[in-house]
Amino acid sequence: MNLHFTDAVIKWTLATFLVIVFAFLYMPIVHILFASLSTRPNFPYPLEFNLSSYVRLSTNTVYQSAFLNSLILASCTAVLSTAMGFLATVGVLRFGGKRALVYAIFFAAPLFVSEILLGISSMALYYLVFKLQGNMLTAIIANTVHCFSFCFLIMAAMLYKYDWRMNEAAIVCGASPLRSFVEVMLPITWPGIMGSLITAFVLSLNGLDISFYLLGATPTMPSVAWGALRYGVKPELYALLTLINLIVFVLIMGLLAAIRLKKKEA
Amino acid sequence: MTMATKLQRRLILDIPTGFLLLFFVMPLTALVILSFWQTENYKIVYEWTLINYGTLATEGAYITFFLRSLAMAIGVSIALVILSWPIAYFIVRYGGRYRIVFSLLLVIPFLSGEVLRLIALQGMLGPAGLVNGALIRMGAAPLRMIMYSNTASFIAFIYLYLPLVVTTVYLSLINFDFRLAHAASACGANRFRIFTEVVWPLNLSGTIVGFMLAFIPTLSASLVPRFLGGPNGTLYGMSMAQQFGESGTWALGAAMGVVLFLFSVLALGILSFGVDLRRTGFTGLGRS
Repeated sequence: MNLHFTDAVIKWTLATFLVIVFAFLYMPIVHILFASLSTRPNFPYPLEFNLSSYVRLSTNTVYQSAFLNSLILASCTAVLSTAMGFLATVGVLRFGGKRALVYAIFFAAPLFVSEILLGISSMALYYLVFKLQGNMLTAIIANTVHCFSFCFLIMAAMLYKYDWRMNEAAIVCGASPLRSFVEVMLPITWPGIMGSLITAFVLSLNGLDISFYLLGATPTMPSVAWGALRYGVKPELYALLTLINLIVFVLIMGLLAAIRLKKKEA
Repeated sequence: MTMATKLQRRLILDIPTGFLLLFFVMPLTALVILSFWQTENYKIVYEWTLINYGTLATEGAYITFFLRSLAMAIGVSIALVILSWPIAYFIVRYGGRYRIVFSLLLVIPFLSGEVLRLIALQGMLGPAGLVNGALIRMGAAPLRMIMYSNTASFIAFIYLYLPLVVTTVYLSLINFDFRLAHAASACGANRFRIFTEVVWPLNLSGTIVGFMLAFIPTLSASLVPRFLGGPNGTLYGMSMAQQFGESGTWALGAAMGVVLFLFSVLALGILSFGVDLRRTGFTGLGRS
């Protein structure tokens, strides 16, 4: 009896703590959501519903071109790093053999080098060796290095229970390696692949440190936001932040719904 | 057939390996080389010299920045581990079928990016932010401590990296076999002993990975101190970024980068004595 009581106390203490921490994580985001909808962005209580900052954001040409650049950068990074991460995952889990651990550590290494160091060192390399100023391609590559480790870990976590004999069975039955991938492996592993695509996309969409040093004068959303900060935070920034959070939220919820649906099927 | 499989096998591992060698190892090498050159009047002088490291080791400002960064990184990482454990533990033990919802709720703020999250946080802590706005409205004095100070930076680092550390500890705990704890309990161990002798040591690896994932970006942070740190909040990474920006002393900045990198590797080396990667729950290598 006494034991159950202690258990319950522990459980509810932990639950309270969890609620406090989640409140700490979400309060700024919700506050900004209210601020973006208010005419008094500093202290938007009582709440209002006013879309003027969103209208100003959508008509601002600087943000438009920055958004387009960020979109290109993030899409290319997502595809490239997921493809690389997939190869790395398959390589380590299936063909790694005795050296699997060594490869896994190497593939996770970019995670342990800070973004700003990656950005600065890539800039130094391109400038010193190729006399190149930053451009979109170098920014995509540097972002890919950073996102690659996340992609590798996400897919490895999702794929390590995968039974590789299924691929071999398909090949024995006469399927080409490509067909065995598309018809056997892809239907089973796509939540991991989607998770990796979304993570890489959003990380590179919002990352400033790497792109800042490799893009030169090309504006991206985080760099425009950072520039705008020097002149004080404006309600447009709050609107931008709310929109980005909304996009992330929809993507994650979509992924969750898809995973749930797949579990039901299985 | 075997030739083809062998080729396939090599390609699958060699493509990502080559990619990392080219675009991850090479740039870091370039940084090291650059740190042994010099910059004069925004131009690089290609002569080997140790002068950059000499400057860093003797000038008081750089030493202060570095010690401040180191103290900040250690403090932030320890605080994050302490905060993350109860949360991850609760999600794993009592989350039930909502585990995935809890873990995704952690991911959402993490993905909105450093700049935007800092803007959001400034909306809370800044001179015109929610906390001080509410205090002034209630007739109290604004909290100076959370405006443009090292405390503000500290809160910001916690805010930025908490989701990452909780997720790491969570991944470790979810792969932990709680039957071991039950066994210890059946053998008569009390809660405290079960935690210190079974649960904590067996999840130490994941905890250390989480610690490092907060330690490394905090050590070389540049955005947080620049935006929130105030006059006495300059950190090493921010000073390094200035060498590549306003001051144009690239070689000195490169040397600072090498120092940061070496200290990250050193911390990783010291702590990795306690890490068994098979236990982090990351790679799924535990099977083999």
